[in-house]
Amino acid sequence: MKRIGVFVCGCGINIAKTVDVKKVVEEIGHYPGVVYATDYQYMCSDPGQKMIQEAIEREHLDGIIVAACSPTLHEFTFRRASEAVGLNPYQCEIANIREQCSWVHQDKEIATAKAIKITKSIIEKERLNDSLSPISVFMTRRALVIGGGIAGIQAALDIADSGYEVILVEKEPSIGGHMAQLSETFPTLDCSQCILTPKMVEISHHPKIKLLAYSEVVNVGGYVGNFNVKILKKPRYVKEDLCNNCGECFKVCPVVVPNEFERGLGSRYAIYIPFPQAVPSICTIDADACLGLFPLACNKCKEVCEPNAVDYDMKPEIIEETVGAIVVATGYDLLPSEELKEYGNGRNPDIIDGLHFERLLSASGPTQGVIRRPSDGKVPKEVVFVQCAGSRDPEKHLPYCSKFCCMYTAKHALLYKHRVPDGQPYIFYIDVRTAGKGYEEFYHRVSEQEGVVYLRGKVSKIFQDGDGLMVWGVDTLTGKKVEITADMVVLATGAVPAEGSKKLFANLKLACDENGFLSEAHPKLRPVESLTPGFFLAGAAQGPRDIPETVAQAGGAASKVIGMFSQEMLLHDPIVAVVDENLCSGCKICISACPYDAREFDEEKNIVRVNELLCEGCGACVAACPSGATQQQNITDDQIREMVKVVLGE
Amino acid sequence: MKLPYYPGCTLKDRTSQLETTALACAEKLDVQLEEMPNWTCCGGVYPVSETKIVNLVAPFRILKEVQEAGDDKLVTICDFCYNVLKRTNLIIREDSVKRTRLNLFLSDDDRRWAASGRRVGEGQEYDGGVKVLHYLEMLRDELGFEAVAAAVSKPLEDLKIAPYYGCNLLRPPLEMDLDDPEDPRIMEDFLGSMGAQVVEFPYRIECCGSFLSLSSPQIARRLCHTILESARKNGADAIMLSCPMCFYNLEQKQSEFARHFPGFRPMPVFFFSQLLALALGLDPASLGFERNFADPVPLLKEKHLV
Ligand SMILES: Cc1cc2nc3c(=O)[nH]c(=O)nc-3n(C[C@H](O)[C@H](O)[C@H](O)COP(=O)(O)OP(=O)(O)OC[C@H]3O[C@@H](n4cnc5c(N)ncnc54)[C@H](O)[C@@H]3O)c2cc1C
Repeated sequence: MKRIGVFVCGCGINIAKTVDVKKVVEEIGHYPGVVYATDYQYMCSDPGQKMIQEAIEREHLDGIIVAACSPTLHEFTFRRASEAVGLNPYQCEIANIREQCSWVHQDKEIATAKAIKITKSIIEKERLNDSLSPISVFMTRRALVIGGGIAGIQAALDIADSGYEVILVEKEPSIGGHMAQLSETFPTLDCSQCILTPKMVEISHHPKIKLLAYSEVVNVGGYVGNFNVKILKKPRYVKEDLCNNCGECFKVCPVVVPNEFERGLGSRYAIYIPFPQAVPSICTIDADACLGLFPLACNKCKEVCEPNAVDYDMKPEIIEETVGAIVVATGYDLLPSEELKEYGNGRNPDIIDGLHFERLLSASGPTQGVIRRPSDGKVPKEVVFVQCAGSRDPEKHLPYCSKFCCMYTAKHALLYKHRVPDGQPYIFYIDVRTAGKGYEEFYHRVSEQEGVVYLRGKVSKIFQDGDGLMVWGVDTLTGKKVEITADMVVLATGAVPAEGSKKLFANLKLACDENGFLSEAHPKLRPVESLTPGFFLAGAAQGPRDIPETVAQAGGAASKVIGMFSQEMLLHDPIVAVVDENLCSGCKICISACPYDAREFDEEKNIVRVNELLCEGCGACVAACPSGATQQQNITDDQIREMVKVVLGE
Repeated sequence: MKLPYYPGCTLKDRTSQLETTALACAEKLDVQLEEMPNWTCCGGVYPVSETKIVNLVAPFRILKEVQEAGDDKLVTICDFCYNVLKRTNLIIREDSVKRTRLNLFLSDDDRRWAASGRRVGEGQEYDGGVKVLHYLEMLRDELGFEAVAAAVSKPLEDLKIAPYYGCNLLRPPLEMDLDDPEDPRIMEDFLGSMGAQVVEFPYRIECCGSFLSLSSPQIARRLCHTILESARKNGADAIMLSCPMCFYNLEQKQSEFARHFPGFRPMPVFFFSQLLALALGLDPASLGFERNFADPVPLLKEKHLV
């Protein structure tokens, strides 16, 4: 029989107040198999741990029970202490007599009896515990980053700079994300492209980074340390290695379409580069617009292409890669204005969103930085900015705050006022949120020194009224209805998860919150990890956030990846399901019960196996198995039966 | 197609032209609208009390009778009745406490009725299963606007009509669930099916003042004047609406407008059913235009529609 030691913690008075710790020790001391029992005020303290270690050595213990707080808190502490003196860590068990006993009871006598039962049941479990060791996994030290906005760029650079290979996948022809579209950035008003493009260039030249732009991840198999990724490379119809971006093709292309990068305010040709600093610096043919593709009616660009890079026959390509960790940085999009029926329904050209306005402000934008309204090119003299357009509106639109709009609207009004000094900007707001370094000061400057009118209230309706736009709102500070005839309206539309991300996240089996943003493993203590091992989160894909926060988080995600890669082996908890091949009938019920795809059918033997590396030890298959062939390591049916017996007092 | 029909009181009195034209059109479109027997007042406005249920008894009984007669749909024409019946029905469906209480309340009543030898539905719970349809909704969803278009013999081609929704048809949006409350299309599509020219104007979903025309007439007057002028400014010859209350405020009350708004010119206002009757080729003399303050006949003559 195992020699078992029991250590009862008083946790100051957390436990001792409602559980008679001495009585527990006395009673347990006589329990079969227990050769040593004692109590201590703080078992988790250094002296407490030392006491346990000495007892293990002195009494030659084969297993120990620490009756204390929840195992989520100190199981690791006590197992490490046991291991240090040669006891297998899986022979150390925790009896939770705090959260599940002392904290929820008042009657000391009853609580003490319950604590004794809990401890005895854990003794029964421990008696049948096997000595286990973590499963070590070989790991591929290469990372995949999905999304090439500032979040993905930063994460890729940080990982690559540590010497690990990175594959960066971006769905658009160029990396840069929304930051590339911005004019100047709050609160310092530095030029967005000027601080972003050096990083984009670094990506394209980094020896450790493989950039797959105009590509999408279509499938991820495998498990942490060894993911098999399938990436679809969409055909650009231009050979990447040959195109030198000379621009000759633009001069001859007969098809002009709206440029997505300019949010439709500017145009491009069917063969195009979204903006001059695009990375990679290669042309793309828009298959929907080009006349040269299906059917072949025009081949002007091919004729003038000196390096002969145009290839109308290019096909989509599937690229397969193995990576150890994946950073998801797919960013955000803006709520389509069509959703905001009361604000013109997306049908009025002079009711634009914040990104449109960024393009109007941008020196490289469609108006070279002159503010002109889209309908007739007039310089607008009265501009209304509407904050929370769709955000903080749980009844009709998005329940959450989109976080960066207060600041960028202040920035917009300021930049507008600088460009159109005789113009009048108005800002409707619910309240102004300026939680960032230098943000409050920036807001004060805009609201007090720049002639911007802040109106506290919501806008109820915007409609075309003759040549202008009628804006109906309310100023809740004066209690008056406000009507403004504006030349242009800028809606700070709410941020939503990037288009297509719902499908991607479902594909990757990543948990999302109710709004479709990625969920973190713990909102406070594990903010850059996903609950699915091996996945890390960066940027606005996890929720709206501005550039400083995005960059910090991307760095955090990168350092988690680097930390993982710096280990010799990846260790996996051995508390996994095992299958008794003699009992398994191959009914496959466990396959559908497993949420981790850790079950595979062995055709030859007609049984189901467990992929230990994918198994998270949740026990769903154990409950589902009709023949008892599946058991969970160290929490087998036999163990549970013995535990139940004790609890029922048999 | 045969459907039970609930008229409500206004259509039997002040705005009987709405009922007569709607019923005549239904006949022309091969829809039999059968007026339900024993109908009572719907209550007029949906009760705002969360706890008192007695105000729900009248609409509840109407709906229960429809189900007991073996029907699962009920057509109404008046926007107020539509609003009350539809919302009552929803509360019956979703609030099990109110449902049970209302059913218990009426089971007594049933027994009294049984004693008097009249039709009974005893022991039968009403569960909210009846679908309440507005006439326009019936045209859109049961018949289809294509069928309306196919039946049109006199397209309203030259008529520039501004559709006006008011509130009862669309709000509260989650409960009424007829159309998008901020950007409805049902009236526009209806007008389109008759070949009329639709004039969009920003005030089509703004309030007409409703009962304020009795308590604070100057407010309702100002609202209605703005609505009419906005429609005119956007090029409308006339307004189309469906609600008797809106008709009262926007049409009948025009008699007072000239006194308060110098230079005001009357503007014809049609019930949707009057325009449909015209388009279906019914006799223009039978459409009740004599009840209008702003006579639409000169306009119709100008457009060769009479
Ligand atoms: C009008 C406006 C003004 C702003 N001004 C400022 C400012 O002045 N200062 C500031 O700090 N912040 C500002 N912001 C916020 C800033 O845009 C964000 O903080 C930043 O862009 C977030 O970066 P990101 O990389 O997380 O997301 P994104 O910029 O959205 O980048 C995501 C990238 O992932 C790609 N992607 C998406 N889905 C996939 C997929 N399935 N596969 C592959 N790739 C995919 C996208 O194409 C994109 O390139 C502003 C935002 C708006 C709307």
